Amino acid sequence: MHFLSRTQMIFAFGAAVMLLTVLELVRRRRLSEEYALLWVVSSLGMTLLGFSTPLLQAITRALGIRYESSTAFACGVTFGTVMLLYMCTRLTRLGREQHALARELALLAHEVERLRSAGPGGGS
Amino acid sequence: MRVNRVLVVIPCHDEDESLGHTLAEIRRLAPDVDLLVVDDGSTDRTAEVARAARVPVIRHPINLGVGGALQTGFRHALSHGYDVAVQLDADGQHDPADLEAVLAPVLAGRADVSIGSRYLRPTGYRAPLSRRIGMLMFSAITGAAARQPIADTTSGYRAYARGVMEICQHDLPQDFPDAPLLIALARRGFRLCEVPVTMRERRAGKSFYTLGKSLYYPYKNLLASVMAMLQRSPTR
Repeated sequence: MHFLSRTQMIFAFGAAVMLLTVLELVRRRRLSEEYALLWVVSSLGMTLLGFSTPLLQAITRALGIRYESSTAFACGVTFGTVMLLYMCTRLTRLGREQHALARELALLAHEVERLRSAGPGGGS
Repeated sequence: MRVNRVLVVIPCHDEDESLGHTLAEIRRLAPDVDLLVVDDGSTDRTAEVARAARVPVIRHPINLGVGGALQTGFRHALSHGYDVAVQLDADGQHDPADLEAVLAPVLAGRADVSIGSRYLRPTGYRAPLSRRIGMLMFSAITGAAARQPIADTTSGYRAYARGVMEICQHDLPQDFPDAPLLIALARRGFRLCEVPVTMRERRAGKSFYTLGKSLYYPYKNLLASVMAMLQRSPTR
């Protein structure tokens, strides 16, 4: 139980530090509120689990896991996986938007070049 | 009677060695069509070669892939009132002498997409075994989705009707617009057809399908093809 307590403390304080770091990054505008959401929710959840032994034990029993530390580890892995998947969807969307912008830029540059070569007041 | 306006879209990436000859050949064999070069982020003199030949060129600031270049061509064609766009490679593999044959079904209103196919008549072209297996697989998948045999799903020599361009300007696979595009179009109710063409050796430059891409291509196309078949039947 002593080992668990120490692990729990590290887990809880680590999560609390993570939460404060995320909030500070948002305050400095280096992380948008949208992207911070998952981090804030998970850090809050981890902090709660770390400081509340009964809650951690209840979840461990409910999931059929043997050790509380494994529950904490599983939570971390789950969060990491969800975050990676979310980031991949965002990257896909950003890639599509980047392609669309590049196409629009190319078409507009072509149009500007065409109008310039047509001379002052030139059209098609 | 209204005459159909045809734009030949030539997607290019580092094709300065072969582009000039291809443009001259198209001009000679098909003087009635307009040309557009889409320079897809080239680092060589591709754009200068096109300009020297007095062909309009649209330059992508970054490399988007064949599909991205084609999409830019479609956007240009639609905004300038073209009825049909033809995709033709810059490397000299596509013979402009076949342009009329590729265009004919679309101009006659018999098809919305006309594919210049290597496999409808004996041409002596023989792909490596691994590629043949892949082509047979994608041909079977596309044929099942289109409910008609499609022998050459990877041919980049195609003519597209305006209705197809209107859809594709918003949604088109960026890197390999092959089987998944044909499946998506067939499921939207567009009519596909194939016409026999002759493919030649590329005049210069490197093949688009490098070793890395040749490994990635079957995975990506298979996943995209299956997803295209599983998506709800879209309406035009």
